[in-house]
Amino acid sequence: MNKDLLTNIVRFISLLFFQIFLFDQINFLGFINPMVYLLFIILYPIENKRWDIMLISFLLGIILDTFQDTGGAHAAACVTLAFTRPIWLRLVYGESYKMKNIKVLKTSMDRLLLLLLFCIIVHHVIFFSLVIFNGSQILYTLKLTLSIGAATLVVNCIILALFKSRVKS
Amino acid sequence: MQQIFNFLIKYRNLLLYLFLMVIAVTFTIQSHDYHRSTTIHSTGKITGGILSTRNGVYDYFDLINHNKKLSEENASLRMRLLEIGDTLLGKETTLTFTDSIPYNIFPARVIKNDFYKSDNYITIDIGANQGIQPDMGVISTSGIVGVTDRSNEKFSRVISILNSQISLNAQIKGTSTIGSLKWDGYDPYVMSLEDVPRLAQVKKGDTIITGKQSTLFPSDILIGEVQDAQLVENGSRYKITVRLFNDMTDLDHIYVIKNRDQKAIQEIDTLGTNE
Repeated sequence: MNKDLLTNIVRFISLLFFQIFLFDQINFLGFINPMVYLLFIILYPIENKRWDIMLISFLLGIILDTFQDTGGAHAAACVTLAFTRPIWLRLVYGESYKMKNIKVLKTSMDRLLLLLLFCIIVHHVIFFSLVIFNGSQILYTLKLTLSIGAATLVVNCIILALFKSRVKS
Repeated sequence: MQQIFNFLIKYRNLLLYLFLMVIAVTFTIQSHDYHRSTTIHSTGKITGGILSTRNGVYDYFDLINHNKKLSEENASLRMRLLEIGDTLLGKETTLTFTDSIPYNIFPARVIKNDFYKSDNYITIDIGANQGIQPDMGVISTSGIVGVTDRSNEKFSRVISILNSQISLNAQIKGTSTIGSLKWDGYDPYVMSLEDVPRLAQVKKGDTIITGKQSTLFPSDILIGEVQDAQLVENGSRYKITVRLFNDMTDLDHIYVIKNRDQKAIQEIDTLGTNE
């Protein structure tokens, strides 16, 4: 239990650090900055209670909001992701995911990819509709969601693949 | 009573979610509103400090580019100095007139810049300690950048011209035609000049500069060139597409302009409306 707590604290701080110092500065094609911090919410231990992950996600989002001047868009997207995470877990791992006591990081890569895809779509759709906040710019919002979502998916897959190989050995 | 508690316990996750969501969306709406001061912003002591550390790290990767830009600016200032020198009588220098110039200029560096959102902000590394206040114009070597918004002791936030809330007074160079400059929210290289009268003479390639009515910027600061002009509102007004001279996606050294007479001008301007 204690080890879990420590892992999560380290994950929280290091993902925030890399998000702000490295991934917010990539500007691939001028505007594409992948979001790695949502790995924290995806990899958070699966428990029956949900209030703690929602509060931590809110905190994580608000911290990023202060750095990017996005008001509360990150926070809203993170809280929604945390709230809907059980739905995606059930879709990917089946109804009995709670019984199996699984660790997300130790599951097979194809299921992980699917989970990542669902989570990124939810997060990015909410985030970019709040950031753009203009109904007449739906196409632009979609363009941002798709392009940055794809970048996030690729980068997160690489990070997961790197850490998975370490967990097994 | 029991039922209320049961309800609260049963739906505690949903209620917590809705509660957090309301807070987050409130912050978001605040951030899109120019006139309200926002709760979540990037000029805090810790945030500003971390952002300026980040800038310090990335500075090294771009030193050659910075040097080139600064030396180009030096060259163009030198040219202007020579121009003024020619028109002055005798051996007087321009420096003796500093008191009569109504503008103070503060050099600053950009530590955070955005351009893909619909309301973009820039964070700069000078603040109230250096004399920065809200509503001061910000320019770079090649054109206008934005207007200061809020500041603490060490950092300030600038509303970028790439912000849907901003509307600036601009003018076609060589004529007295004025319009208001706005951003449509798509392309960081293009803005549009609206409310230009139908009778105005507009050509492709005309230069757009800041107008004399602006209290934020000195007049004749470069903005961009005319790319396209269309008649809108049943042909009564022009909407002009302006390609910016400034590359808003690549900002570093900028200048904040303080207008000594801003308050006085605004007081005179509002006289008529109050009566």
